[in-house]
Amino acid sequence: MEVKLDKQYPLDVDADRAWALLSDLKATAGCMPGAEILEQLSDTSYKGAVKVKVGPAVAQFGGTVDVVDTNTENRTVVLRGKGADKGGSSASMDLSAAIVADPTNPAHCVLNGSAAVIVNGKFAQFGGRMMVQVSEMILGQFVENFRQTALTLPAPAGSAAGQSGAAEPTGTTTGAASTTASDAPKIAKEINGLAIFWQLIKGWWQGLFGSRG
Amino acid sequence: MNAPTDTAEARELALAGMGASRLRKEDARFIQGKGNYVDDLKLPGMLHMDIVRAPVAHARIKKINKEAALAMPGVHAVLTADDLKPLKLHWMPTLAGDVAAVLADEKVHFQMQEVAIVIADDRYIAADAVEAVEVEYEELPVVMDPFEALKPDAPVLREDLAGKTEGAHGKREHHNHIFTWEAGDKAAADAAFDAAPVKVSQHMYYPRVHPCPLETCGCVANFDPIRGELTTHITSQAPHVVRTVVSLLSGIPESKVRIISPDIGGGFGNKVGIYPGYVCAIVASIVLGRPVKWVEDRIENISSTAFARDYHMDGELAATSDGKILGLRVNVVADHGAFDACADPTKFPAGLFHICSGSYDVPAAHASVKGVYTNKAPGGVAYRCSFRVTEAVYLIERMVDVLAQKLGMDKAEIRAKNFIKKEQFPYTSAFGFEYDSGDYHTALQKVLDAVDYKGLRAEQAAKRADPDSPTLMGIGLVTFTEVVGAGPSKMCDILGVGMFDSCEIRVHPTGSAIARMGTITQGQGHQTTYAQIIATELGIPSEVIQVEEGDTSTAPYGLGTYGSRSTPVAGAAIALAARKIHAKAKKIAAHLLEVNEGDLDWEVDRFKVKGDDAKFKTMAEISWAAYNQPPEGLEPGLEAVHYYDPPNFTYPFGIYLCVVDIDRATGETKIRRFYALDDCGTRINPMIIEGQIHGGLTEGFAVAMGQQMPFDAQGNLMGNTLMDYFLPTAVETPKWETDFTVTPSPHHPIGAKGVAESPHVGSIPTFTSAIVDAFSHLGVTHLDMPHSSYRLWKSLREHGAAL
Repeated sequence: MEVKLDKQYPLDVDADRAWALLSDLKATAGCMPGAEILEQLSDTSYKGAVKVKVGPAVAQFGGTVDVVDTNTENRTVVLRGKGADKGGSSASMDLSAAIVADPTNPAHCVLNGSAAVIVNGKFAQFGGRMMVQVSEMILGQFVENFRQTALTLPAPAGSAAGQSGAAEPTGTTTGAASTTASDAPKIAKEINGLAIFWQLIKGWWQGLFGSRG
Repeated sequence: MNAPTDTAEARELALAGMGASRLRKEDARFIQGKGNYVDDLKLPGMLHMDIVRAPVAHARIKKINKEAALAMPGVHAVLTADDLKPLKLHWMPTLAGDVAAVLADEKVHFQMQEVAIVIADDRYIAADAVEAVEVEYEELPVVMDPFEALKPDAPVLREDLAGKTEGAHGKREHHNHIFTWEAGDKAAADAAFDAAPVKVSQHMYYPRVHPCPLETCGCVANFDPIRGELTTHITSQAPHVVRTVVSLLSGIPESKVRIISPDIGGGFGNKVGIYPGYVCAIVASIVLGRPVKWVEDRIENISSTAFARDYHMDGELAATSDGKILGLRVNVVADHGAFDACADPTKFPAGLFHICSGSYDVPAAHASVKGVYTNKAPGGVAYRCSFRVTEAVYLIERMVDVLAQKLGMDKAEIRAKNFIKKEQFPYTSAFGFEYDSGDYHTALQKVLDAVDYKGLRAEQAAKRADPDSPTLMGIGLVTFTEVVGAGPSKMCDILGVGMFDSCEIRVHPTGSAIARMGTITQGQGHQTTYAQIIATELGIPSEVIQVEEGDTSTAPYGLGTYGSRSTPVAGAAIALAARKIHAKAKKIAAHLLEVNEGDLDWEVDRFKVKGDDAKFKTMAEISWAAYNQPPEGLEPGLEAVHYYDPPNFTYPFGIYLCVVDIDRATGETKIRRFYALDDCGTRINPMIIEGQIHGGLTEGFAVAMGQQMPFDAQGNLMGNTLMDYFLPTAVETPKWETDFTVTPSPHHPIGAKGVAESPHVGSIPTFTSAIVDAFSHLGVTHLDMPHSSYRLWKSLREHGAAL
């Protein structure tokens, strides 16, 4: 089954730091819950793995990620990922992401992402109905991890670091000491099944009454 | 000389023969959990098989790496198509003249297709090892729609058939085309349409559904390398055919292949075919020299074993302006999936679909069915029906409703006007079927009176006049005729084996008996009803008659149980085998009573000397004498075998009426009333008939109201668990009212026609008829199944009827 996502996430991070993170595939992958880059195969090709857990269903996708295009000027990347799970599922994803500076606030930016995800096999059959909600949930966690990781990066010289610090006081205090993503304490490394479930129930209720109301 | 005895009536009652509502002999073991199913079997040294299946619907297999799986402790073997190739078992013939991959050979053609098998010490290790087999796929464009499949630039699905312009059923016009099969007289039908003042047409889709028996498919294959014998316990509706096929494929002589169908937990057509899992388990047992068990799970059963239906149908009727049908034309595009594995008699790639002129005197008719390959699982079995008869009945019953609507005629009136009349039987239809017997007018009137049809129509009119009515009321009426009991072997064969069936009866010296049959019960209650036929024919109490089926080493050869053929074919074999014994018994009785055979009369359980009630010999006495004092020149013993090749099909019919109330706010449908009158000819056990009808109506309800196999564009089956696939329980099932008339078949030895499938065949269009009837005042002529609440809610909104 195919899921198409088109999302805008405003971030309290300046565009330069956000782009620095986004253009580093390995670090960005580290923000994706359950995902990691295992091996670099070429300049633009990586071997990776993603673990997704929804209630009792666990899928461990192993596959490749190719950076199809990187445009520093526009701050955009285009990625193509393909993978399979040993339990009888496969998935592919075409994703383009962009960092857009916030013209009114140099300490803020917007992360634009659009993705077409195709899932086949058991994961589609069991999770088909929940795909959209689960994807949104995963992306939500990713964006939060992304934001926190970006804030730990060294602020661009003489720029909006001060303002950024003002927006996120803890960021400045720990930011100086920690420079790598793996040290960021709050990053959720695996997708929390229970949280997803709760989110689904919440979404379902809201949908139920939202459409009637 | 003889002790005083009960009256003939009392003795007849004591036999519990035909017509008695004898309790089912099978139930004692089932309700105590003492049934013996394939999965109950545990043999010493038995290994377990599990299957690696494709997650995608269409792909090239680039690489299979089985090393990690083979390295796991407890794993004995991992086999792929390449391993089966030297044995020439990587492909196998299908029942429809095509071939099907046993394990995917270079290419995957549908999701969940078998790619590799793992044999391990237990089921758990096997399942873990399946995950360790690494398969690399190169995905190919997926074709899920048969109309897309026929486009000139559609992807080639069956590369193995490249260049083959002739299929098993004639010319192939396109790389995804299987056959085009025609019946009837096209010129005559076209002429009828040209001249007719009234014409109607309707497109309808009969969705892909799955028979979904409670017990999934499986087998235990046990090859004895010392004796060179193969014994396989298998979930099969046709064990003798399986034996023949296994012998032909493996090269083991048929005498050394023993196929046993033990207790079977429902078949409904799903257990007719031969699946890759069976073949692989047998190969694994031969290779390893140990018993191998394979039992599929629910997801595997729904996803990969035989589906039913998937017919895209266009019907047309031509008629006079007062509703007399002049002609019928039908065009079908049939989605057969990746391999043509339909279970149909060889000459009929669309089964007996040409029964689609129904119960009506249609002077000219033509039907054309086009079979097409897609990236779906193969199958196309008769799900609780005779071959494609459900589709045919649905088509004609819907079309008659559409015609009635166009003419503003009542559904009952237009049917009565077009029925084949009682005096027209035997009646030859425009498609060439010879209907054996029927009395449709009497049966229809009985139903209309029983439900107060006029009253219902008045109530409906009042509801329609009330804009605040919370429900839409619909009345469905179907007057169907089935064609069952395949079949005359001059017309019907499977893989060249004529569709006869068989019975062997042995009467023991003390007067009890055993009957062995070529059929196999899967819930029909054969052990109960077959004994009743013998009881009546031979005067032996049914309680002391054992019925055995399913073991090819003891039972005579038969084609098995499907298409309502057990009673029409095997039931006739029983009666005729019993009559052979009866004839011998008479000789013995004449000898014992020292009279001529012509001086004897038969009475319930004995031969009597004409005019002298005191001089008689009972069957028990005759049985003893048959072994111990036979007349000179007559061989001892009392047994007979009969192979019955029916002269014709049988044509059971029924009149079904259904009243529904559809909630205008939610689309939820209440089946207020369902009245089913069936005529299956002579009735053997009324209680079992009623049970069969309840079961068939419930399955019909499931199909019409909820069952479907939804696929997405990538070929994922989005409903392959019982969470999604609708199996009604007692909670959802409506109340059924049953009724009957009796019009015996003139060509059947006991006049019986078969019944278990009629309620499925007949009820499905009845539900659709009722649902559409509820919308008919809004100009709606047809709504496709399933009639789920959500789909009806959408229809209510679309036609401005929602509250």
